[in-house]
Amino acid sequence: MSKPPSSRGGARERLQHWLPRLVLSPSFVLVLFFVYGFILWTTYISFSGSGMMPDYTWVGTRQWSRLWSSWTWGIALHNIWVFGLLYIVTCTVLGLLLAILLDQRIRAEGTLRTIYLYPMALSFIVTGTAWQWFLNPGLGLERTMHSLGWESFSFNWLIDANMAIYTVVIAAVWQATGFIMAMFLAGLRGIDGEMIKAAQIDGAPTWKIYGRIIIPQLRPVFLSAIVVLAHLAIKSFDLIVAMTGGGPGNATAVPATFMYSYAFSRNEMGIAAASAVFMLAVIAALIIPYLYSELREPRS
Amino acid sequence: MSFLHINNIHKRFGETHVLKGIDIAIEKGDFLVLVGPSGCGKSTLLNMIAGLDDISEGDLLLDGERINDLHPSRRDIAMVFQSYALYPSMTVAGNIGFGLEMRKVPKAERREAVRRAAELLQIENLLDRKPGQLSGGQRQRVAMGRALVREPQLFLFDEPLSNLDAKLRVDMRTEIKQLHQRLGTTIVYVTHDQIEAMTLASRIAVMRGGELQQLGTPQAVYDDPNNLFVAGFMGSPSMNLVNARITRDAGVLVARIESPSGDVTLPIVRDRAALETWCDRDVILGLRPEAITDPSSANRQDGEIHEAELEVELVEPTGADLYVVTRLGGRGINARMRPGAPLESGQRARFAFDVSRMVAFDPESEDRIRDVEKASAEMPAAALDVS
Repeated sequence: MSKPPSSRGGARERLQHWLPRLVLSPSFVLVLFFVYGFILWTTYISFSGSGMMPDYTWVGTRQWSRLWSSWTWGIALHNIWVFGLLYIVTCTVLGLLLAILLDQRIRAEGTLRTIYLYPMALSFIVTGTAWQWFLNPGLGLERTMHSLGWESFSFNWLIDANMAIYTVVIAAVWQATGFIMAMFLAGLRGIDGEMIKAAQIDGAPTWKIYGRIIIPQLRPVFLSAIVVLAHLAIKSFDLIVAMTGGGPGNATAVPATFMYSYAFSRNEMGIAAASAVFMLAVIAALIIPYLYSELREPRS
Repeated sequence: MSFLHINNIHKRFGETHVLKGIDIAIEKGDFLVLVGPSGCGKSTLLNMIAGLDDISEGDLLLDGERINDLHPSRRDIAMVFQSYALYPSMTVAGNIGFGLEMRKVPKAERREAVRRAAELLQIENLLDRKPGQLSGGQRQRVAMGRALVREPQLFLFDEPLSNLDAKLRVDMRTEIKQLHQRLGTTIVYVTHDQIEAMTLASRIAVMRGGELQQLGTPQAVYDDPNNLFVAGFMGSPSMNLVNARITRDAGVLVARIESPSGDVTLPIVRDRAALETWCDRDVILGLRPEAITDPSSANRQDGEIHEAELEVELVEPTGADLYVVTRLGGRGINARMRPGAPLESGQRARFAFDVSRMVAFDPESEDRIRDVEKASAEMPAAALDVS
């Protein structure tokens, strides 16, 4: 095809050919080792008899069966289910609602949009701490109400074992709703204005224009929002640690806090590894199909 | 009483005055085309008829009823949009039937109406598809079906053909015209394409800068333009506009036009009374390319032919015609000759001018100079007597 390059040009060409690989290879090796390597290591540990320290004796599925017979793990799974469902549904509904309201060509839209987005700029730790103070009956809302003279006011969900998980939902929803709203707002802005005019002429009332024409077109946004929220929910560790520490008791334990406490305070590294692998599998089951559908070459 | 009456309508967006008192009246069954360059306000006017934009001032009457403040859905109109605006999450049948569904028409009746509309537009086989699976031409048909199915009093079309490729556009144009003839509906149609306007309209409204320039039949707008803008905008190739001086030559009123091959003198036969007052002053003359021909194909029966010898600058064959460019009044002008006329650039040839079709404009105001009794824009070309 092309002429064989001269020796000097050849060296240069070879350098150009290898330079990107050379530059990228350290990070590639690091990722391969510390991410994928440790995934494999953790998976192995979950089939080993590890306690406080790693122990490489193969014990088969013993740790897995201990995990599934653990009472706390049951609570953690139940909590993540309640938390995840409420978190995803509330964030999606509120986010969509805010986006629709913000899309009515209102004044100061830019300012409002920023205000709604700000919670996302805070870390989970800050959010958790702030909400912990706010909902703490001795410090925040309840005390303020009492000092304002509303003596009978009571809001003690944070220290109520049955209700504590919902306070975590409130804080998490507060943080993520603005972001979900921004996603829906972008989706709404992409809808052809003529279509709405056509629907008006067709005689559709506003709620039907949204219900029948606009919201069905936001399907890809719903999918993205749910995937983002679902993986945030499963990863929710720092928020719970900062807000309730998994308590009162084990009332707000989730798989992530379960894994942490088993690995670092209860000296049950095998069980912790099994729970970690389980979480990875659940997240992968959510993310991989989504990435596949998003990254696939669009076909006509 | 006219069917659709646009009575002194104004539109203001804050400080900007977009429409400055539009007056248009059309009868039932008319096909009104609003034509003009972009930004002339034609789409705004259409949106106001549809009820999608508020009317700042003036009255909009449909069948004698003032509909200014009526919601779009209660005006008994249907609209076809430039982007088609189909609902992507519904099937074709769902799209066409949506308006009926919103008006709570029973399901069986609705299905029958959708089927009839689909049959009329030959899209019965597409009814179960989603808009995303259709070609541009098919989407266009669905958009029309959605308008047709409700059998409204008035159809509005907002540049419906501009997203189609050239060939499909011509086909759909013919179909829209056939549909109009078959159904006898009243249509208001917006376009910037003057050929679409000429072929479809029974009435053309030429607009510019928020003002109505001329309202009339296509032929009247073409042959008898109100001003320089209309003359230049309508027709392709556009009307030849040349500078000339009105003088008297041996007692006859003539227009004298400079040319490199010697001045051309053309007798004034049209609007003679008005042009008398322009004697010894400069005007702009307008002549359609088809009014300048070779002597052998000149229409000596209806027109009044005056010949002159000029130099051929360029020859442009199109197959059906031969366009010949020559220089007159300091500008290149187009003459439409019979194909195969033995002409070459650089050669001198005889040109036949049909002076009965010549129009004159005031170079200052750009308005037409015409006799008072012919001032009505509504007068069809055939009624213009050429003495």
